[in-house]
Amino acid sequence: MVLEVKNVNYAYKSQKGKEILKNVSMQFEEKKFYTIVGASGAGKTTFLSLLAGLDMPVKGTILYDGEDIQEKGLNYHRKHHVSLVFQNYNLIDYLTTEENVRLGGAKKPQALLEKVSIPYEDWKRNVLQLSGGQQQRVAIARALASNAKVLLADEPTGNLDENTAGEIVELLKRTAHELGKCVIVVTHSKYLAAQADEVIMIKDGYCHIGERQTTT
Amino acid sequence: MNSFQMAWRSVIRKPVKSILLFFVVLIISLFFLSGMASRNASIATQNKTKQAVGAGFLMEANEENKRDRADEILAKKTAGEEGNFDGVNVEKIKTEYGTSWSVSYDNSFQTLLIGDMEKIAAVSGISEYNLTTAVTAVNPVDFSRIEDDDVDQSSDLLCVSLIGNKDMALDANVLSGNVTIKDGRMITEEDVDVCVISEELAEKNNLSVGNRIQFNDRRDVENSTVFAAEIVGIYTVQQKMTPVMAGDTFRSENIIFTDLGFPEKAEGSTSGALYEKAYFKVADVNQYDEIKKEIQEVDIGWERYDLIDNNGNIDKMSKNFNDLERVSEILVIVVAGASLIILFLVFIFWMKGRVQEIGILLALGTPKIKIFGQILLEAFLIATAAIFLSFMAAPATSKITASYLVQQQVQQADEQSVLEEGKVAKSAEDSEETVTGVSVVVTPELMLYDWFGVTLLVVISVGAAGILIARKNPKDIFSEIS
Repeated sequence: MVLEVKNVNYAYKSQKGKEILKNVSMQFEEKKFYTIVGASGAGKTTFLSLLAGLDMPVKGTILYDGEDIQEKGLNYHRKHHVSLVFQNYNLIDYLTTEENVRLGGAKKPQALLEKVSIPYEDWKRNVLQLSGGQQQRVAIARALASNAKVLLADEPTGNLDENTAGEIVELLKRTAHELGKCVIVVTHSKYLAAQADEVIMIKDGYCHIGERQTTT
Repeated sequence: MNSFQMAWRSVIRKPVKSILLFFVVLIISLFFLSGMASRNASIATQNKTKQAVGAGFLMEANEENKRDRADEILAKKTAGEEGNFDGVNVEKIKTEYGTSWSVSYDNSFQTLLIGDMEKIAAVSGISEYNLTTAVTAVNPVDFSRIEDDDVDQSSDLLCVSLIGNKDMALDANVLSGNVTIKDGRMITEEDVDVCVISEELAEKNNLSVGNRIQFNDRRDVENSTVFAAEIVGIYTVQQKMTPVMAGDTFRSENIIFTDLGFPEKAEGSTSGALYEKAYFKVADVNQYDEIKKEIQEVDIGWERYDLIDNNGNIDKMSKNFNDLERVSEILVIVVAGASLIILFLVFIFWMKGRVQEIGILLALGTPKIKIFGQILLEAFLIATAAIFLSFMAAPATSKITASYLVQQQVQQADEQSVLEEGKVAKSAEDSEETVTGVSVVVTPELMLYDWFGVTLLVVISVGAAGILIARKNPKDIFSEIS
């Protein structure tokens, strides 16, 4: 178990203490591909933010390798324990493809770019000149560039067409199963959810571990 | 990638924001340099001009002391006695209503004592001195004076006025720049029986340099001795000298400058000359205060005199320069204040445009201080380039700014002069000289101040705008992006 959530509660300050997550406890393991599903506003992204150390729970703790992530600080947690992939890629717009991957911590980003199938001629180009699918691959390469054991992704296929989304899902699955990382993905996509080893459903502030779904 | 590599790429690859900041800093830096250079130029020129214009002290008889001395003398005399008592004339006047007493002072009673003046002139630091007689009304024997045809002259003395000077160049009217020589020369200490007349008087009487004109005692025009004086110069005035009394005797055109001893002779004085004012010119204006102290320590009967600071020239020049200095200082302060606001807004604009980048870096575990450092480094790189360019452009812009400020000051001084017209007369007067130009130099010291000042403003502005980063947590930033 690499990541553990213990009795976590979360409430938005702007919503007068209304709890969006209630006493959530959950464990995540390496080499597994998790998806978090739920209705809009259920608290999926909030849950992912807490796992990523982008925010702090009102109550409860989040442990990484058995240690409270707040002990070494959330910055440290974000830098060394987790890596993030977003729906809108979130790449630095004035850097090249290669430089964006290097930003994740890779000294030699070429191998990672090959792994995520970015053609060589695009390595030195400004990252915004790539297609959406390619940009998301670069974002994944950047996430893989760090030695973090956990990869967190928020709607990584949300802006992509079906074929490209399929390729990204495969990439994420391989990241979990072949690279041995714990991959946690927030998604609305039933297809993506169906690819997960475990599906976590958030409803009414509670988390339920669901069955692996099949696509229709 | 380290912060410098990131900052450099951001500066080069996002040119719009870089150029915007570049020009803002360039303009700020130029204003700073121009303001500081103008201020320094004004100070430098002020010191130089102070020396050129000069300053001095004016000595006059103390009026209260005259009355006290007269009272003392009169108290000692026997009641009902007429005569001259140590320079105080007492005269019995009989009228149809009874007897009254007239008290007047003769020249010996009123005059500045030449011995005392020479003691002051001997003080080290006094380069030159002048004595000026009282305005003396005398009868013009062989020439006509200027008269106003519309005025009844029956109550006038029908005279002209003489002003004797030891050195005419140091006469108050000359020092002020109001009286200048049109033809011939001024009167010097060695001259005897010479005069300088007005251009109007010369024209009316068809007189020129080298001619002689005659005067005698106005109280006995028929029998008194006639004295002749050679015309050595013809003067012109910028503004008419204010008469010391009413009547055409004392009008500006009828004032005749003479050597120091002539008025006493021409008026037929039996009690010597009446030296009304003495002027002592200071050699080094910067030692003005020290010299004044030394003068005050000279052993003379100080109760008889008033020592007056005669640094009106400096005051006027200083006023112009101080105004220029003040305007320059205000320029620097206003630029500093406005720059801070503008730079703050520019950096707010920067931060707003870079929220996503900041969020990404935070998500990658970059500490806020490092992100702040990168932005500061970017600002520093751009500001340094802009400041360097401003150093090259500063000499030209500083000159333009200083010239503009000088022009404003001169215009203001001219307007002030118009308001003060007609006040020129017998006392120490302001110089007509004003600031007409300054030499502006942008020194390495100024550049250093400018670099330090602008950099400080940039750091403060980035810091103030950076609070925006510090106050937000990464999740808020991502919510903002969404």
